[in-house]
Amino acid sequence: MSAPVAIAGAASVSAFGIGFRGLGQAIASGALRPRESVLLRESHPGTLASEVPPIPAALDAGDARSRKLMSRAARLSAIALREALAAAGFDDRREQIGAFMGVGASGLAMEDVPAIVSASLDAGAFSLPRLGDRGLLACNPLFTFQTLNNFSLCHGAILEGLGGPNAAFFSRGSGTAVALAEALHAVRAGDCDRALAGGADTALHPLTWAELQRGGFAAQGLLPGEGAAVLALAQEAARPIGWLESCAAIGAGEDAALLDLPARAELVVLAPWGAPPRAALTELAGSRYPGAAIVDLSRCLGDSLAAAPALAWVVALDLLRPGERAVVLTCGVDGEVTAAVFAGALR
Amino acid sequence: MRGVWVHGVGAVTPLGGSWAETSSALAAGACAVGPVRGFDASGFPSRHAAVVAQDFPGEDRRAALALRAAREAFAAAGLHRTDPRRIGVFVGAESGRPPFATFAALARAAGPGPGLDHARFCAEAASRARDLDSRVHSPAAVAARLAAEVGAKGPVATLSLACASGAAAIAEAARAVSLCECEVALAGGVGADVDALMLAGFGLLGALSESGVSRPFDRRRDGFVLGEGAAMVVLGSERGFARVAGIGRTLDAASLTAPGGNGGLRAMRLALAAAGLRSVDVVQAHGTSTPLNDAAEAQALREVLGGGSLVSSIKGALGHAIAAAGALGFLAAVEAIRSGLVFPTAGLQEPDDDGGALPHVLQRAITRRVDSALVNAFAFGGANCSLVVTRE
Repeated sequence: MSAPVAIAGAASVSAFGIGFRGLGQAIASGALRPRESVLLRESHPGTLASEVPPIPAALDAGDARSRKLMSRAARLSAIALREALAAAGFDDRREQIGAFMGVGASGLAMEDVPAIVSASLDAGAFSLPRLGDRGLLACNPLFTFQTLNNFSLCHGAILEGLGGPNAAFFSRGSGTAVALAEALHAVRAGDCDRALAGGADTALHPLTWAELQRGGFAAQGLLPGEGAAVLALAQEAARPIGWLESCAAIGAGEDAALLDLPARAELVVLAPWGAPPRAALTELAGSRYPGAAIVDLSRCLGDSLAAAPALAWVVALDLLRPGERAVVLTCGVDGEVTAAVFAGALR
Repeated sequence: MRGVWVHGVGAVTPLGGSWAETSSALAAGACAVGPVRGFDASGFPSRHAAVVAQDFPGEDRRAALALRAAREAFAAAGLHRTDPRRIGVFVGAESGRPPFATFAALARAAGPGPGLDHARFCAEAASRARDLDSRVHSPAAVAARLAAEVGAKGPVATLSLACASGAAAIAEAARAVSLCECEVALAGGVGADVDALMLAGFGLLGALSESGVSRPFDRRRDGFVLGEGAAMVVLGSERGFARVAGIGRTLDAASLTAPGGNGGLRAMRLALAAAGLRSVDVVQAHGTSTPLNDAAEAQALREVLGGGSLVSSIKGALGHAIAAAGALGFLAAVEAIRSGLVFPTAGLQEPDDDGGALPHVLQRAITRRVDSALVNAFAFGGANCSLVVTRE
């Protein structure tokens, strides 16, 4: 096995708020419960969800102007990237820091739609030429950028001055693990000596939730969630909060042996999208690590798509004690299973 | 780490249904840019694009383009005996979109009014469920489709880095092969963005050419022209006809829309350093035909290479295929290594020499021995990817 890489800091934005310390305990104790979604109140009233609470102005991403250009996922991502940098003390040589994120389909702002329609009518009928020269002037002129998935990475990178190797992997789960694996490789190989890796997304967009409903996921217990979480990896760290040993993903239906799980773990954190994978992951964890504590965050934090694995990683880091090892197993809506292995800070 | 070689290439572009057709047309100086005919763009800020002539009824356009390019690349590589578990798929793609008629119907249902009518919007969406299937329009759907096509059961990833997506996917595939995560990798990019939403959106940004001409590095350049297409390569560890010798990836960390800082320059230097080179014979430039990108890239090329490398951009002929662009540029670089053919930059007649002349390839293709080439792909949002391809 290759040498583990130090985790110099971490950050998250979730229903728990900004920060991950105490998040694991809140999940383990059942204190963090789903609530009716505010974001889905108009389109899907009464939907229970794991929703990020209102963000204090002082802790929000960028300024009002830059936030206007951000999708919700990009906004959450920018906060998590900033907080992870601060937690890790990555204050210098920002242009050399790598950034690898799992990102979702950002989603257009729904409030732009009525404005576009009103301006695009010609004698009561929807007119394509009129859409071109008037309708789109009525909406956010940078709306195109909300359709480009990489902006969940790039907004934060611009705000924080990150300039190193990078990648944005489209993710409904496994792409986020690929992002972490890529960051791990980049630090090990010396492409950069420090890198941020994580995921950001929201399932609380009316179209996303409608699609998840139609796909049958809601009926099988998927709780819609949102958030962002980021790990700060470093070749050297004075006070690491943990160590990343490995990260891997396998396709739907593939043999879990391909995950190359370690023989020993004291903690297993599970992030299944809903009931079917919950049973499978629980069985895998129980048979492989019979004495380990098992924490399932999906009942509290739900499935936040590209963010889900990253939130599970910070939960593991929150609960992990020195000298212990944690395995994080996730399964997103595409059926791919990911495994990340962490060691407690003592080394 | 082991070497990574190119074994096969394939493409579907506005100039041809295969890379061979495209390559011949590019060498002849052809240009695919013309008026948009697929929908009424008369009110749009820009009304020109480079479009693949073929329709693909019942298929997601991105998947259809990528599939045909992948078949060509895989057939050319002749690696069918590889263990499926050792074949990876890496695709650069952004989100697909339902037909514009669906958008328009949803928009009509949603308004007009003081706010979005969710009930009517959802009812309309439900009646158009098939057109709105997220599994089809997901960026990841293309990679999944290609993996099924070639029977790949190794790593599968989708890179969504806007205009750098295709190049970044090839970079990621090269990394996976070099680290033995797979033996063979199908990699590339696909873009199918010539629709009303993107034409209007990029037009509103002022990024598109109002004159409707793609003129990379020309004094008269006034923006890019949207294109579409797919380009795929098959990479492996055994010796092929070109080697992926260097990769450089950086972020500008400056602006969403404009090149800034020195991200592009650093990406080129990193790729050259990884290849152990100080210069290359040919640069396949990002060369979008926007005033800012081309000026910044030209200046970076002068600083990094000193103006000694031939400079070509195929966006003059093919437009800007967004997520496919970097992969198309990679194929052009590989073609230069393989056949010595360096494509001209269509539309370039009056080179913008502010800061010093660059040896652009004008009007006619140049044929010469090419041992090394640099490919640039710079994205909205500031993600840059440079690749170096060599003969040895």
